[in-house]
Amino acid sequence: MAFDERAADHLLLMREEHGNVAPALVSKGEEIGDVRLDIPYQLITILETIYSWVPTGKIAVITRRCDEKALTELTKRGYVDEKRMVKIGLACSKEQIARCRCSDPVPSKVDFGEPNTPAPRDDLSDKLAQMSVEDRMKFWVRQFRKCNKCFACTHNCPVCFCDDCVLEERTFVAEQGIPPGLSFHMIRSYHLIDKCVECGECERSCPGEIPLLTLRKMLAKDIKEVYGFVPGDPKTVSPLNTTLEGEPMEDECDEC
Amino acid sequence: MSVKHVLTTCPYCGTGCNFFLQVADGRLVGVVPCKTDEISLGRLCIKGYSAHSFVQHPDRLTHPMIRKSGQLRQVTWDEAMDRIVGEVTRIIEKYGPDSVVVLASAKCTNEENYLIQKMARAAIGTNNVDHCARLCHASTVTGLLYSFGSGAMTNTTPEFDNAECILVTGSNTLEAHPIVGARMLRALDKGAKIIVVDPRESPLSRISHISLHQRPGTDIAWINGMIKIILDEGLANEEFIKHRTSAFDELKEAVNEYTPEYVEATTGIPKEKLVEAARVYAKSDKAMIAYAMGITQHSNGTDVVKAIANLAMVTGHIGRESTGVNPLRGQCNVQGACDAGGLPNLYPGYQRVDDQEARMKFQKAWDTKLPEKPGLTLTSAMNEAMAGKVKAMIIFGENFMLSDPDLGHVEEAIKKLEFIAVSDIFLSETAQKAHVVLPAACYAEKDGTFTSTDRAIRVLRKAVDPPGEARSDWTIACDLGKRLGSHGFDFSSPAEVMAEMASVTPQYGGIDFERIDKQVLRWPCPTKEHHGTRILHAQKFTRGLGAFAPVRHAPPKEVPSEEYPFILTTGRNLFQYHTGTMTRRSPKLEREAPEPYVEINKSDAKSLNIADGERVSVSSRRGSIALKARVTDRIIPGSIFIPFHYAEAAANRLTNAALDPISNIPELKACAAKIEKA
Repeated sequence: MAFDERAADHLLLMREEHGNVAPALVSKGEEIGDVRLDIPYQLITILETIYSWVPTGKIAVITRRCDEKALTELTKRGYVDEKRMVKIGLACSKEQIARCRCSDPVPSKVDFGEPNTPAPRDDLSDKLAQMSVEDRMKFWVRQFRKCNKCFACTHNCPVCFCDDCVLEERTFVAEQGIPPGLSFHMIRSYHLIDKCVECGECERSCPGEIPLLTLRKMLAKDIKEVYGFVPGDPKTVSPLNTTLEGEPMEDECDEC
Repeated sequence: MSVKHVLTTCPYCGTGCNFFLQVADGRLVGVVPCKTDEISLGRLCIKGYSAHSFVQHPDRLTHPMIRKSGQLRQVTWDEAMDRIVGEVTRIIEKYGPDSVVVLASAKCTNEENYLIQKMARAAIGTNNVDHCARLCHASTVTGLLYSFGSGAMTNTTPEFDNAECILVTGSNTLEAHPIVGARMLRALDKGAKIIVVDPRESPLSRISHISLHQRPGTDIAWINGMIKIILDEGLANEEFIKHRTSAFDELKEAVNEYTPEYVEATTGIPKEKLVEAARVYAKSDKAMIAYAMGITQHSNGTDVVKAIANLAMVTGHIGRESTGVNPLRGQCNVQGACDAGGLPNLYPGYQRVDDQEARMKFQKAWDTKLPEKPGLTLTSAMNEAMAGKVKAMIIFGENFMLSDPDLGHVEEAIKKLEFIAVSDIFLSETAQKAHVVLPAACYAEKDGTFTSTDRAIRVLRKAVDPPGEARSDWTIACDLGKRLGSHGFDFSSPAEVMAEMASVTPQYGGIDFERIDKQVLRWPCPTKEHHGTRILHAQKFTRGLGAFAPVRHAPPKEVPSEEYPFILTTGRNLFQYHTGTMTRRSPKLEREAPEPYVEINKSDAKSLNIADGERVSVSSRRGSIALKARVTDRIIPGSIFIPFHYAEAAANRLTNAALDPISNIPELKACAAKIEKA
């Protein structure tokens, strides 16, 4: 892959380092190295951390479809200046699509990879939907017992950007408990209901391998069915950020 | 503008997770997990995600200091080093080299530990070099050396994934080794049966198949009991016993009295449950044992470890994939600090200092005369200081003023020292007592290697500069070695130090920085062509035949009395780490567990009329501390638990310094205590 210096001043990508795949920000004049597209990092989360340290110039980022949507949610809220961003579209492999049970895998512009068809369904969501309320609850309680409060699900999330995290407030989540109670997971997933782009980073980084993406997919139905809203669309505003008259709020809350 | 992602190794527990430190213009701004790391698989615990946050803390030591009129005052490096060398030389001349004790560090790299022990032996002329492994797995080293011939984890962390049964004892794995715990969860999800034996409930025991609660200090009883059940029910692996082991008859005789009824009376474990656990462990094809401090920190810790080894050998659950005896090492480089010779009786690679041949080898390699007599252990050094025989200590990153048992005694002992020098990253409780304090670089500020609990050599890569004038411990050790008039301390990089260490340490013979930059090698890795070893004792034990040890239950040195009716046990919680110097300066971690507490069972709390959250006083024969009560079902009646992280209510004011005679590990896991309303 070549660095088109006319298009951007910095390039955020994955490359081979020390026998591993590493995220890297390469600036004009620097070697790109051996680019690796087979193991995507959550580059939008990384972009958020380093954005304020890169004050000038255009930043090109390898973006899957979900990354594109995450970037949209960030630019809509004013965290990132859209004009500074250049997207390099990466179409996900069949294997990656299957892993995320992804229904929307092709970026708006494909620069790398072959466009593949979406995954038909999330089998686990279907299975859980068939269960009785008691059994479904039992399933999730069993899963949440594996939670070790590492905060990977928020730490690695591209659309989890509050300055003060509600999960770190004693009112909602007592500080002494592991595993934390059901509310921990419910607050987190509802808090992201109008932002989550289903990149699956929470699930992949969870040491307990809790199926957090399935939890999300089941909740996503609510906001879609009740409000007709799907995150990641630049033209629509979250119903949670809308006035009672249906207008976008002037002072959008930065923290939810 | 500069933004870097630097791949390095976590400074907390011994799992050895790699991650990227995010560096922007010289500031550490975050941690990103490494998805291709074979140990962590791109997962970290909350401590790992916070591993950047203490590094550039304003409390970091930035200049050398010397105590003048009772106050530590800033001086130059030359002044500080001159003072150390002057005092140490004076003390050696007056009292002899064995009056000096050097403490290496499980927080320092392999290269640093190698140089620190070399400095003690070659430059000072004493084998008095030890470190905090004495407090955690000293009895693992002695016990497993006896049974197998090697004191390290027999298998590897990734192998937990495929185990069919995991017996976890004395390890709160999800809190103390979260990413090893994550592997156990993977196995659990795949259908493995997990058995947890612990006086406390833990996040893992709550989702295990079998959870047994023994009274603290009764481990040999339940382990021997399991062995007896296995033998009586014909579940032993006779082929393995016949061809791979020795002294089976002695073992058989020793376990004979441990009937399920006797075990129940001694340990409190219901006999049916013990039988069930013994059957599940013995009948599984791939069964792993994982253990930690709950097994080792007893005044008969070596025997308890041998009992564990007996159990694995009786069933033949060793030497194959996803089996074995797996001591989980608690510090980022406690395995490496032992490997590199930070022990008073062993040179690098576990070669004995009292073995003439080994001594000749090191005398030749270092071109100097070396002392013959094994040195003092950390715990016995305190007693010798009290007796006025130890006069000086040079301490690298050790905080015994919080980590050692019976702190009142430690305090008295170090008052008798004529000189203390401490190299550390913060002004720890121990550094506050020093005559000279040196500012050290932390893990993020230097190159080098750690050895993980599963013997993998993990790489540290420098991400940022140390603060102020702080220096790496390897440069400090070299400088001290040279200033003390010794040669063999001219190294310009950790890579050069590893080259020398590899040349004298058979297990590390094939390790060099170029190889480990790109691949994970586990020792033994004797040559440059060797690919390292995942499973120990595969064809035969390191010592030849595995040695059964006929060990018998003995009660803790201190048992409950009328005045002190509880058994106090100590340990970690998920969010804090050891003496808290790093975690308590990490806001996210401190927020989760900001204050000391004592766990007490609901029924005991009720009879003492103690409410949850109430302030109480806990005392032993050695001291008393005040803290909050956590009334809980997590701990069995009759026992109480206090985490040892908190200086404001230091659990080690209470603990008993009774030592295991073989390994000198103290009995941190059981002493008699009382609890009263404050």
